[in-house]
Amino acid sequence: MTLVAEIQKVAKQYPESRSAVLPALRLAQEEYGWLTREALEQVAEALDLTPAYCMSVASFYDMFHLEPVGKHMVEVCTNVCCGLVNAQAVLEAFERELGVAPGETTPDGEITLRAVECLGGCSTPTIVAVDRRYRQSVTPDDVAAIVGELRA
Amino acid sequence: MSTPDAVRVTIDGQDVHIAKGTGLVETALSAGIEIPVFCYEPRLGEPIGACRMCLVEVEGMPKLQTACTMTAQDGMVVKTARTSKKSAEGQNATLEFILVNHPLDCPVCDKGGECPLQDLTFRYGPGKTRMSFEKTTFEKPIPISPTISLDRERCILCYRCTRFSESVSEDGQLVARNRGAMSVITTFADEPYTGPFTGNVTELCPVGALLPTQYRFEARPWEIVDVPTVCGMCPVGCNTHATVREGKVKRILSRNHPEIDEGWLCDKGRFGFTHLRAADRIVDPIKRVRRRGFEPVSWDDALDEAERLLRAAHGRVVVALSGSETVEEAYALAKLVRHGAGSHEAVLPEEISDALDAYRLPLSAIAGAQVVVVLGDEPVAERAPIVDLWIKQARRKGAKVVGSPDDDAVRGAERVVLVWSGPGGRGGARVAELAERLGLAGKPGCGAFYLPQTPNGRGVADAWSACSDDEPAEADSIGLLIVSGDEAAGNDNVRALAERADSVIVVSMFHGLAAGWADLVLPGTSYLERDGTYVNLEGRLQRLRQTVPPPGPSELEWISQLAARLGVELAPDAPAVFAELSARCYGGLSFGEVGERAPLRGYVDAPAHVEAPPVPEPAPSTNGHGLRLVAYKPLFSGPAVERVTELQFQRPQAEVELSADDAKARGISTGDSVTLGSNGSSVVLRARVNKRLRASIARVAVEHAGGLSGYVEVTRNA
Amino acid sequence: METRIGAEPPVVILDGALEEPLRDLDSYRAVGGYAQLERARAMTPQQVTEALIQSNLRGRGGAFFPTGRKASFIPTPDKVAKPIYLTVNADESEPGTFKDREIMLRVPHRLIEGCLIAAHAIQSKHVFIYIRGEYSTEYEVLGAALAEVRAAGLLADVELTIHRGAGAYICGEETALLESLEGKRGQPRSKPPFPAIEGLYDSPTLINNVETITNVPKVLELGPEEYAQIGAPPDSTGTRVFCLSGNVVRPGAYEAPHGITVRHLIEDLGGGIADGRQLKAVMVGGSSFPVMTADQIDMRLDVDSLAQKGLFIGSGVITAIDDRTCIVQFALRIAQFYMHESCGKCTPCRVGTRWLVQLVRSFEEGSASEEDFDLLLDVCDRIIGKCLCVLGDSAAMPVASCVTKFRDEFRAHLEHGGCPFGEDSSLAHLFAPSDQHHHNPVAQEAPV
Repeated sequence: MTLVAEIQKVAKQYPESRSAVLPALRLAQEEYGWLTREALEQVAEALDLTPAYCMSVASFYDMFHLEPVGKHMVEVCTNVCCGLVNAQAVLEAFERELGVAPGETTPDGEITLRAVECLGGCSTPTIVAVDRRYRQSVTPDDVAAIVGELRA
Repeated sequence: MSTPDAVRVTIDGQDVHIAKGTGLVETALSAGIEIPVFCYEPRLGEPIGACRMCLVEVEGMPKLQTACTMTAQDGMVVKTARTSKKSAEGQNATLEFILVNHPLDCPVCDKGGECPLQDLTFRYGPGKTRMSFEKTTFEKPIPISPTISLDRERCILCYRCTRFSESVSEDGQLVARNRGAMSVITTFADEPYTGPFTGNVTELCPVGALLPTQYRFEARPWEIVDVPTVCGMCPVGCNTHATVREGKVKRILSRNHPEIDEGWLCDKGRFGFTHLRAADRIVDPIKRVRRRGFEPVSWDDALDEAERLLRAAHGRVVVALSGSETVEEAYALAKLVRHGAGSHEAVLPEEISDALDAYRLPLSAIAGAQVVVVLGDEPVAERAPIVDLWIKQARRKGAKVVGSPDDDAVRGAERVVLVWSGPGGRGGARVAELAERLGLAGKPGCGAFYLPQTPNGRGVADAWSACSDDEPAEADSIGLLIVSGDEAAGNDNVRALAERADSVIVVSMFHGLAAGWADLVLPGTSYLERDGTYVNLEGRLQRLRQTVPPPGPSELEWISQLAARLGVELAPDAPAVFAELSARCYGGLSFGEVGERAPLRGYVDAPAHVEAPPVPEPAPSTNGHGLRLVAYKPLFSGPAVERVTELQFQRPQAEVELSADDAKARGISTGDSVTLGSNGSSVVLRARVNKRLRASIARVAVEHAGGLSGYVEVTRNA
Repeated sequence: METRIGAEPPVVILDGALEEPLRDLDSYRAVGGYAQLERARAMTPQQVTEALIQSNLRGRGGAFFPTGRKASFIPTPDKVAKPIYLTVNADESEPGTFKDREIMLRVPHRLIEGCLIAAHAIQSKHVFIYIRGEYSTEYEVLGAALAEVRAAGLLADVELTIHRGAGAYICGEETALLESLEGKRGQPRSKPPFPAIEGLYDSPTLINNVETITNVPKVLELGPEEYAQIGAPPDSTGTRVFCLSGNVVRPGAYEAPHGITVRHLIEDLGGGIADGRQLKAVMVGGSSFPVMTADQIDMRLDVDSLAQKGLFIGSGVITAIDDRTCIVQFALRIAQFYMHESCGKCTPCRVGTRWLVQLVRSFEEGSASEEDFDLLLDVCDRIIGKCLCVLGDSAAMPVASCVTKFRDEFRAHLEHGGCPFGEDSSLAHLFAPSDQHHHNPVAQEAPV
């Protein structure tokens, strides 16, 4: 099924098709890796919106990327609950292991490191979302293994 | 309390009786109390309460409330900043926050002196800043199109511009990007903000963030005069102000006529004025001296020559009109040739029927319709842009917009408005017939509009017929063809007449248009240089004012001189000419009574119009698979637009619009390269699927139609 | 490590799921699942709403508004020509909060049963669950439960759609959630009109938090009178899934009745402060509220007791902050969070949160002056009560509370010319997402 057709199918769940913008952007991002110009144009076409509108909506939400990102995404919670325990150390361990600062992608385009706000896993700090899956109670010692897993 | 709907609201101790549901900002204003606002703008739809400038205290509510989102309810007690310390502190806080990141570069800001932020800061704001950190900085100014620049540092994120783009022009191109303190106004990728109405955001912007590039560093408010006039670029006749400094038009602003334009203006009207100073503007008469040569001549020589040609024609004079002449100019020309040369032959710019007078309505009535029937296949926005905004407004208010008078929605609807947008309407006669068939005559809120192609075609026709009742004599040759204006000069039919004429006089603003085929070219003027009247598509007589002087004598001046040579008495000024013709076709209305916000008057003894031959319907294609080609004249075209550099990006793309069904049947998607072919000729264009377009037509701007007409085959290129 | 689950009886919300999650329909049915739905559908909508009113169940999302009363604001179908919607707020994003996530993972069917009962109460035929975009596993678990329910025919004539967010804290605000669900930027709407009258697609809409809705089957099962006796009646009935985190020995999700003390939660359930440190402050309710000082921990966790001290129960957050923590850094990180999450619609929040970050940072760096105390508090004051929604207040209140309750520590920064904790603070150098904007190229100049 084409992306446009897939989006239009999702849109049927809603009384108004515009409600499908977030799922549509998610599907487009899964297909293109990030929300390229073409991806946004496809979403716009499928839902009868303008590309500018789709870009505007996407830019409001942290999970959408309007710039290229790595194939893998490592997101470290640095809000206060994780912060009180060891989040900064975990983040720094990833920075060292990947050789990039938060918000950057490894030069080979493989892994993007991000600091994120509270992920809702406050009792098992530090929460790290690896490709959108939560790892709980991550310590700096776990970092090398996580990166190794992604590099494998 | 006079009516059951009236409620009593107490504002700052003053009792106000007002209709229930009136906005609090308006309620306060009716008591002479100003509540300052930034984001509030009723024309943009529901209020959003974003800027927090209008905070007031409402009894019974613990928090300050935004007056813009509140409506008058009986017994409501409101305290504004005048009487409430809390409210005053709220407003002061809002202004402090707004100014925290504002660059305060008023001395170099074009908005300075006419800026709501400046004014409100002066009246309600803090006297000093407590912000000692780095302000947000951006690259500035950046063009969001060749006509509009954006200064993000000055932007206070009131969202007026994005709301306009989303809910008024519905183009969805100007949007907010990012969130919170990072939010900025932007377009998609690096595409310019394109469309008929973009310039309105420069007037909506309450700060110096969105500004017209043409006006950048051009004038300070104390150096300018805003002259009220009416736009002469299309048949809507939007009311405008021309900002003039030292004899030059520097910008054009809307001047809200609630029945016509609601304060909106299209980009052609707004930005189309720099052609007045075009390099190829004709400022002196020019005369053909040798076989293919022209040279400037004095006005005396020019009038000598014109007189000679008029006399030499021996009554075989034909006048081709543009439809952009004022009523007075058309009348003067008519009188010159009809009384002075005894010729009664005119090529009118277009057929205009007065049958519509029985269905006359102000344009604003479209917004109140339950059903709008749009007939004809040309885009409304390309012919009469503001009408498109009224139709959009109607749709937003729940009206059905349909393409056929036989649509189910029409039956049973109480308020039906018909709009004819395209050829074949016989100047409104056909839409009037439809209105009659639907029984719309005399029904409140019902009416019909025909969208003419010329700004004053109707007024020109009025003037021509008011001048004389004599009929044209049958003549098989043309002694002199007088071509009035650039539109007529650019018309192929007129050019064909010129081939047959012994001699040709052209009145033109620009070199080149008449080169090669005129014997005498007289400098033309723009609507911005004229005093006079226009009749718009509603049938409303409106007043044009001269905003700047033309480079030479005006048309009325030289026509009256020429007329005198032929023994015809003709005043050289618009009020006197109007007085003469008004008695014949406008019920004796005086020039002064036309008014700066003209009412829609009924015609008195409207004269019958000269009928142009009906446009033949194109013959169906032989194999029946073709689409009917609709080749329309785009809004952004014509001699004026061609000379405004900043408007070039607005000219139509080389594309063909197809309905979703027709595109699907041919395996065509938006962006595909397609070939349009007919009788052996063809043109290659980009396809655009338009979900709102009806089936079996192919719509192309005429300049991209490659001369095709009738029915075309549309095929996808490999 | 998995999230630790604990309880202080009576157990209501997580009943039957303390040891193992109750994810599949059969095991949920084994503990009486969907019996209350059947009962409710035999009752009139009015009777169900009445039961909710009697139970005095209140909103667990943070505002603690009486659930039954809110449902009673929804016009009946004969009064409106529009559909009626139930929208469940599963956009859990308040720092310190993870209860809804645990509820969705452990008792997804109880949530769905609650949805269907509540839908019956307001005669809604379409339910939306707006789940935060980052919750992938939770979305799958809930989706699987929904598939079972659909297959079992339990939805009857009701449609239930799970809608995923995409990363924006503000979408937990009810009107922002509706905007987002309509496919727009999640910016709150000006109220009135209230969602009960003009909500989703301008139609009457009831919006409730996950935990609130999950209580609904239990209200019917226990009976509203008995439910109303749990906890700290009359105002704080029922239990909470408290979210215990921070510097405690045993952080976790603990279901306990309203009215237990903070001390009991931290010391008895949570095992006290970790690493032998001392408690310094507690983030109670969530990051949006004033902080509690260590000497206030004998306070009961019910709305009235907390209100007496200007505190809030919020979404049931208890985050213990120990004495290694620089409270200025804590306030800074809170301010950074709200600056990052401000939607940008209204002026005081958009501009004020950024200014707050700059001001608090100047304290943290020791570059502020004594007069800046007044300025910082005044900026907080100028935000509070003037914004379109409560996000601005949520930034200003905790920051202001840190300044007023720990003024000496703020002052110590000025005297020390920087953080007196040096490298020893647990929050030293804590990086905030607001300092990274790779997805955001047009505004790279804006970060503070």
